[in-house]
Amino acid sequence: MAEHATHDQHAEAHEAHGTRFYWMVGAILAIITTIEVAIFLVKDTVGHELFLAILFILSIAKGAGVVMFFMHLRGDARIFQFVFIVPLIFAVTMCLGFLTIFSNYGGIAG
Amino acid sequence: MSATSHAHHDEAGQAPLVGSLGVDSRKLGLWAFIGSETLFFTALITTHLIFYARTKAQLTASGMLAHMDPKHFLGINLTSVLAAILLASSLTMVLALAASKAKEWAKFRFWLLATIILGSSFVLGQAYEFSHLYAEGLKLAPQFVYEGETVKSLFGVTFFTMTGFHGLHVTLGVIWLIAVYFKVRKFSASPENPMDVELVGLYWHFVDLVWVAIFTLIYLI
Repeated sequence: MAEHATHDQHAEAHEAHGTRFYWMVGAILAIITTIEVAIFLVKDTVGHELFLAILFILSIAKGAGVVMFFMHLRGDARIFQFVFIVPLIFAVTMCLGFLTIFSNYGGIAG
Repeated sequence: MSATSHAHHDEAGQAPLVGSLGVDSRKLGLWAFIGSETLFFTALITTHLIFYARTKAQLTASGMLAHMDPKHFLGINLTSVLAAILLASSLTMVLALAASKAKEWAKFRFWLLATIILGSSFVLGQAYEFSHLYAEGLKLAPQFVYEGETVKSLFGVTFFTMTGFHGLHVTLGVIWLIAVYFKVRKFSASPENPMDVELVGLYWHFVDLVWVAIFTLIYLI
């Protein structure tokens, strides 16, 4: 237990960032948001599939940035990662499953 | 002092509420709450996406889609500003946390007040958007009116339920931020202050995270 606690403290100390780092992360997230909106405005010229792919990648990057650096989940105790990431996996699976079941193409629920 | 108990004391010498897992119980509880909230909001977003797709299919089948797409209601000008506001509030929140850990209380108060102002602006912006949508014909009812035509659809119900619950979470977050602001101002020497700020910060960043998902899945796609 002592080793775990010490390890957690070391991990936290390792992940402790200065305000400059937070400003940098904030700026990157703002740039991502700007790109998202810009792509939305020209979506008719890039094609629907490419538009969706770019948007998903950017949104996942933005969400990961918030969770890892603002919520400090990266480098924090494993138990925190567990109680967040396991429900997140359930949630994404549930969402994709229901969207498939209720889709007009391959769905079984009309 | 044993290695374990030493490890469980913070910089100010205060023993936090450390459970058998070796982490602060309040922080673990909040992460578990955030995990459950993830499932809650995913259920709301999924429901909305399903009923939006059904409305669209229904309008396509009747040849009305070219004239009435429920997405018309959801312009992105205001919501892009709201997304920027919430993102900025996440930055000010983490700066407030950094200041509280460094015991720079003047900076802490500045950044936390900035977070409160930005959060309140988001709530006001969402209230304006809701009133605007309501006036345009999108209501919390199983039908909406588009350019004089009534369309039976759960689009309005699922949209307002989802974004309304998010707005409620932001409102509760603002109230929590205000409570922490006054608590820290009154008891600035309390060694529990950084953990109090960290807990409200986790909640606040999660609310921002939900908006990242809603903004992309509902407004942009």
